[in-house]
Amino acid sequence: MTSTRASVRLSISSLRAHKRRFAGTFVAVLLGVAFLTGTLVMGDTLRASFDTMFGNATAGTDAVVRSSNVVTVAGESQGTRQPVSTGLAKRIEQTPGVAAAAPDIQGAGQLIGSDGKPVGGQGPPTLAGNWIDDPKLNPYRLAAGRAPSAPGEVVINRGTADRGGLGIGDTTVLRTPDPVHVTIVGLATFGGQDGMGQVTYTAMTQADAEKYLTPKPGEASTIQVRAGPGTSQQELVDALRPVLPKGVEAITGQASAAENRDMISGAFLSVFTTLLLVFSGIVLLVATFSIHNTFAIVVAQRTRENALLRALGASRRQVVGSTLVEAAAVGVIASAAGLAGGIGIAAGLQALFPAVGFPFPEGALVISAVSLLLPLAVGVLVCLGSALLPAVRAGRTAPLAALRESAADDSAASRARALAGLVLLVASLGTILTGALADVSVWLSAAGAVSALAAFVVLGPVASSYAVRFLGAPLDRLRGVTGRLARRNALRSPRRTASTATALMIGVAVVSLFTVFGASLKATMNGAVDRSFAGDVAISAPAFGAGGSGLSPRLAPAVDRLPEVATAVGLGKGVAEVDGAGRALTVTDPAALGRVFDLGRVDGSLKGLGVNGIAVSDIEAGKRGLHTGSTARLAFTDGTQQNFTVRAVYDRSELAGDYVITRLAWAPHRAQDSDSLIAVSFKPGVATAVGKAAVAKTAAAYGNPDVQTRSEYAQSSAGGIDMMLTLVYALLALAVLIALLGIANTLTLALHERTRELGLLRAVGQTRSQLRSMVRWESVLVAAFGTAGGLLLGGVLGWVLVEASVGTGDTAFAFALPPLRLLVVALVGITAGALAGRRPARRAARLDVLRAIAAE
Amino acid sequence: MTTTVPTSEPTPTPTSTSAAFAARVVDAVKLYGTGDTRVRALDGVSVDFPAGRFTAIMGPSGSGKSTLMHCAAGLDTLTSGSAFIGDTDISALDDRRLTLLRRRRIGFVFQSFNLLPTLTVAENITLPLDLAGERPDPEWLDALVDTVGLRDRLHHRPGELSGGQQQRVAVARAFAGSPDVVFADEPTGNLDSRSGQEVLWLLGRTVRQAARTVVMVTHDPVAAAHADEVVFLADGRLVDRMSEPTAERVLDRFKSFAPHPSRRR
Repeated sequence: MTSTRASVRLSISSLRAHKRRFAGTFVAVLLGVAFLTGTLVMGDTLRASFDTMFGNATAGTDAVVRSSNVVTVAGESQGTRQPVSTGLAKRIEQTPGVAAAAPDIQGAGQLIGSDGKPVGGQGPPTLAGNWIDDPKLNPYRLAAGRAPSAPGEVVINRGTADRGGLGIGDTTVLRTPDPVHVTIVGLATFGGQDGMGQVTYTAMTQADAEKYLTPKPGEASTIQVRAGPGTSQQELVDALRPVLPKGVEAITGQASAAENRDMISGAFLSVFTTLLLVFSGIVLLVATFSIHNTFAIVVAQRTRENALLRALGASRRQVVGSTLVEAAAVGVIASAAGLAGGIGIAAGLQALFPAVGFPFPEGALVISAVSLLLPLAVGVLVCLGSALLPAVRAGRTAPLAALRESAADDSAASRARALAGLVLLVASLGTILTGALADVSVWLSAAGAVSALAAFVVLGPVASSYAVRFLGAPLDRLRGVTGRLARRNALRSPRRTASTATALMIGVAVVSLFTVFGASLKATMNGAVDRSFAGDVAISAPAFGAGGSGLSPRLAPAVDRLPEVATAVGLGKGVAEVDGAGRALTVTDPAALGRVFDLGRVDGSLKGLGVNGIAVSDIEAGKRGLHTGSTARLAFTDGTQQNFTVRAVYDRSELAGDYVITRLAWAPHRAQDSDSLIAVSFKPGVATAVGKAAVAKTAAAYGNPDVQTRSEYAQSSAGGIDMMLTLVYALLALAVLIALLGIANTLTLALHERTRELGLLRAVGQTRSQLRSMVRWESVLVAAFGTAGGLLLGGVLGWVLVEASVGTGDTAFAFALPPLRLLVVALVGITAGALAGRRPARRAARLDVLRAIAAE
Repeated sequence: MTTTVPTSEPTPTPTSTSAAFAARVVDAVKLYGTGDTRVRALDGVSVDFPAGRFTAIMGPSGSGKSTLMHCAAGLDTLTSGSAFIGDTDISALDDRRLTLLRRRRIGFVFQSFNLLPTLTVAENITLPLDLAGERPDPEWLDALVDTVGLRDRLHHRPGELSGGQQQRVAVARAFAGSPDVVFADEPTGNLDSRSGQEVLWLLGRTVRQAARTVVMVTHDPVAAAHADEVVFLADGRLVDRMSEPTAERVLDRFKSFAPHPSRRR
């Protein structure tokens, strides 16, 4: 007990004496923990807000009646359901226990804002439906104006109105995707908010909705049912079940709300929070290296102090204990500050999001015990874990060390380390190559990647002496003795240099991994357009497959009739289960497809598929064992099943998709009709600019979709990647910042060790600016080593990711190294190194010469 | 033997700017601390160090001898009074000019930790010249290396040398740039007597053979006896000068100050 108290007292007095040394550690833990806490709190708050929102909005709906046939395609958050008859509502209203029932028609409809540009459609859905007059069954509430009562009248949610610059009385166009001229007569709210997140919503009369949003009148997506007094939701569902026709089901309002909520959580929140959690993990990993380094140096510098303690009778355990208590104290204090910071971040984001147009639902921050205890535990563990090895080393201090002169850790890289690192590196490269090329598996590759990182860490001290010597070689000539001194100083303790650089290496590796992967994705998309798109211009719906309402199916024929145009082919989307698995279908004119797409080698013929012919991509055909002449059984959402004969097998599926059927074959099963892409080729002699202008003029009447040339089309399909990369860079900036704090901290500690040397240098004529330059160059060298390692590791891992994706994905994936971007990463790393060296350099330059020489 | 100079009155010093003096201080006062803890480390010292001579500054600890050397060498600044290197009044120089002056015109040998562990012996010797971006005079350098007897150690690191060898490297470095004056601060303090003798002999020989100027602080009468002249300091004041010193004479003179209660500077 007393011995523990002695350890604690020792560590506290040491902390007090060396506050400065631990500043870097403190900040690293604080930032990591703050990031983690912020992520958890924000995730919980968003989830709770959505719960409340959906709860409020759908509180009046006690049961939802819908088709039980659903086809789910991999990669889509919600399955496609067949509509139900609107007539069913009448029958349901007569069922005992039912107070009211209303058909609910849901489709896609994108509004054109007052500036002529479509509102939304960059991700969240753009929905349209019928305005339900029963306020308890309608999740939307009128906030201003009135409900639509005449054809062409609509109510839109308030958030959409704000974003599109639209107001009551305005007329605009709603793409359903056929352009419909509408007049706004009212504004609505959802669950008390301006909208359901970023989703845009337009409600029309039921007649309009049936006309524009369903393939044929008399159909609705679901029927919303309200129970009479005294009937519970479950009782209502039980009562409805016997009256519903085959293929139609009823679920409680609560279950429906939960499904909707899960869809949002699944599609948006979990991706978002997982991404943030991964990045806080990276930040904490980087922090671990920085912290470990600080403790290693502090322990080394305290060798004499610890030896004296041992000589005076302190047990090994007490010495280890005092270091660990120190780490724990730093961990607890920094984590606590990090918790506060994280809650602050979440509160800041809650305030910031609405300002940038993202309606973060209101409500108090949800701070669960997990979001407090987990980051606290992680912060303290990171600190203790980082300090464990240095603490054990401190415990091993021989009492005699008190009498020795040197206290600095200048241990070099051992042969055993080099050997172990090389074995690990070879093993991980083997694993990676197997996982990427031979026996393709993402997990195997990932395991290889992790062990490659470990190999880099083990090999760091060995590599650092070679790398610094090589990277610093030009310094001698450029900076003379200052450069030489900087290089020798960076070489002094390879282990220290390596572990300082490792933190930066991890940050840079992740940055370059994403850079390489993003560039490869882009190259793949560009390549796909290059290879497969044989047309001159493309009309594409924004955000393929997600938001937006697609293109009017009447646009392609209209463009086709233009005198400049040789062929215009629209591609729509359908879904069906092919031999039991949900698959996306391309609905088009297959005969004309070959004139605007280069499908590669085609077995059989795309002409005359008729109502029971299908064309299949080579890869998919191979997987399903299909070939020309064989039969595929398709099950549609309306419950019908039909055999299709494979008439053609084509090579390139990147733009055409895996299954192609005719519009005629799809017509009986279609929902809201739309095309997602129209490929246009011009007649010979028509200049692209002229043809494009003509197409754009025609398209203007159909809601003004974008008309793009080949290269514009290629770029726009890759546009989302840059956005993703920007987000990743912003998140990783924090990891890099922590790494740089680590460099600055290590440098400060190292300079402290070299105080006398600095004094000597100044005495024999080193100017302050030479000294500053020397320290900065040392920092640059360490940063350059970390950056180089990171680029190498990130590049290799990027290649692995691409190769592993090629193996598991359906499409060819091109690997691309973006030289310019990687050069920028390298320059940023090195410049940041110079910045990290600035403060230690300034402090060192301020040293008083005499006091420095006399320093112990 | 020697005459006691009244401590209240500083020794008369030449006021001319004759280049015969490599370094000198005039009415040098150095105060440390404030209030009750204020210490007068130098209390109006005027002394000159003639060019081409080996001068030793002696005094008990706390006498201000190290402070005097530091101020004369531009490592520290005077509270009042002035210090000259040749004709240059260094009390008027800013840090940068002072550094450049130290680099070009002054050499240093400290008691310990004289060499940079990361540089080789050869690199350590040319360090001040390298910092100035100047090429060393190869003949002079060659002669120096031979004088200090370290030709076979030029590419070793200081860690591989004995203390005496390290100090000889420091001597070579101090003279490498042919400075106006070399200041040595207890250069034998950390050495065994044989190594110490070697270093002192080296200093003296360089002064006499190459007409260099050395100012050495020491509290060891044997070391002081290697100099051409000894300057005695006590309580921050110049108390005596002695030409052609021998160890016995210095010791005798020194004893007369020893009973003084020594004040820590």
